[in-house]
Amino acid sequence: MVAPLFAVENISVEIKTNRGLLQAIRGVSLEIHAGDSIGIVGESGSGKSITLKAILGLLPNNAQLTSGKIYVAGQDIAKLDKKARRALLSESAGMIFQDAIAALNPVITVGDQIAEVPRFRLGMSKKDARKTALTLMEQVGISDAEARFGLYPHQLSGGLRQRIAIAIALSGSPKILFCDEPTTALDVTIQAQVLRLLLELRKNSGLGVVFVTHDLAVVNEICDSVKVMYAGRFVEAGKVATTFNSPSHPYTYSLLKAAPDPDAAVHRLFSIYGEAPNLTLPVVGCPFAPRCFVAEAQCTAMEPALLPIYESQSACFKSSDRDLWAASDSKLGRR
Amino acid sequence: MKSIKTFYLGAGILGLLVMAAIFAPLITSFDPTEQDLMQTLSAPTSAHWLGTDALGRDVFSRLIYGARIDLTIGVLAVLLPFIIGVSLGLLTGWFGGRFDSLVMRVVDTVIAFPFYVLAIALVFIFGPGVKSIIVAITLVGWVAYCRIVRANVLVAKELDYVHAAKLTGLPIGRILRRHLLPNVISQAIVFSMSDIVLSILAIVSLGYLGLGVPIPTAEWGSMIQEGQPYILQQWWLATIPGFMVVIVGFALSLIGDGLVARLER
Repeated sequence: MVAPLFAVENISVEIKTNRGLLQAIRGVSLEIHAGDSIGIVGESGSGKSITLKAILGLLPNNAQLTSGKIYVAGQDIAKLDKKARRALLSESAGMIFQDAIAALNPVITVGDQIAEVPRFRLGMSKKDARKTALTLMEQVGISDAEARFGLYPHQLSGGLRQRIAIAIALSGSPKILFCDEPTTALDVTIQAQVLRLLLELRKNSGLGVVFVTHDLAVVNEICDSVKVMYAGRFVEAGKVATTFNSPSHPYTYSLLKAAPDPDAAVHRLFSIYGEAPNLTLPVVGCPFAPRCFVAEAQCTAMEPALLPIYESQSACFKSSDRDLWAASDSKLGRR
Repeated sequence: MKSIKTFYLGAGILGLLVMAAIFAPLITSFDPTEQDLMQTLSAPTSAHWLGTDALGRDVFSRLIYGARIDLTIGVLAVLLPFIIGVSLGLLTGWFGGRFDSLVMRVVDTVIAFPFYVLAIALVFIFGPGVKSIIVAITLVGWVAYCRIVRANVLVAKELDYVHAAKLTGLPIGRILRRHLLPNVISQAIVFSMSDIVLSILAIVSLGYLGLGVPIPTAEWGSMIQEGQPYILQQWWLATIPGFMVVIVGFALSLIGDGLVARLER
């Protein structure tokens, strides 16, 4: 067993809001090995993005890591000084964001932005940095890189901007690319192109990918394993094929059920009734219980832990009955 | 389009004044400090366009030579606080922590005193003169820039591309200079336009109070003070230098308005 590149042990994050302290992440553990491709799915506010930010040390001022440990390449990053931590993280991780226009500096040409890391971190000459940037642009599938080197972000289309953002993230040759909903702001054809690019990068250079999204189809396409997040915790984790074919948590089950099936004639889509819990209040019992179709008394009394079941992991007392769920899921989508 | 017009109008007025100040010896043949005791307090004539003061000095040449002093100090007394305030604002906003708390407490202390009280006290300590005026206004003025820039940095440092730059391991200096500064400086520039007006007003006030540029050097504030006793007979002596301050203020406000519209598009 190779040591993981990133090992996250039971981290919790609190965010100060004007409604009080919000428990954004409540005990999340995660291992990322070189070459992994992990999808983290969940609805808005479930803590997916905050998890990424916590791992990469990019938490906003009002958020704080309250417990847990993060190891990068075997080193506890809390014990490193700022400079060493930055160096270690920048060698290991790159990140791309949902909104590529916000992820690019509007006043610097895209070429110079890609050349920045080679030039100022790796200490290349101006000419070599430019050459490296052009190579990176070609690598992310930008044709006519030479002509586009001197353009500003606003002069490029959404898909090209995301490619530039990927090139910047790759400029420090990271081992894992953290993606925070990078395709959400793109239209479907461009989305497919960007996903194809990420798949190619994975295949050609063994780049690991951690992909945060609420799009299950995207995870299905590019990830090997998936973590389903709900109310600041992972409620189910496993191989993509296993989890999507036979979910062990009612939440995952409901999510999959709610996804439209292109082949079936459906008048009304399933939806999960209720809303996500308010995390400024203490969580008692399973946070999904009020919306769950198999919940019973013990679910509202105690919060289940994430335990191995079947071939994956699930945080549910009722996982062992999963074959019976199809009979009771008629409660889904009702109000 | 309107904003561009106001900008050019302001820049035009200011440009004329600056040109007049630079080419003062070509515009007027009178020495601003030369006395002519045979011709004191004369009304405007074809030789003395704006008349003469109590010591027979030509008011028009004192006015444009005075522009040299007042505009120079005005600009310097904004440039120095601008540089100091913007740098400290960038650093405190980015690093936070104890350094931030320390600097912000100093800022609070300076802001707790009214501007003029502190400026006058400082000039009093350093003694009247151009240098001490600049130092005094710098010591009082940097806090505004520091606050403006710090507040903007706190917002800008959560921008995705700043996060991206941070994560790619770029040197901090590079991130501050290339990714943060262009984002946070525009408000400080706009503020500096109105600040020049304030600092010119401060210089003139200090001159009026006798804490300004030592006599007999021509300076608008001391001209107002010297003209004050004759306000009922020779009203132009005190009024015209005051009017110059108003015009400079007007021009800079127009420039500031134009910049706001242009930078905060």
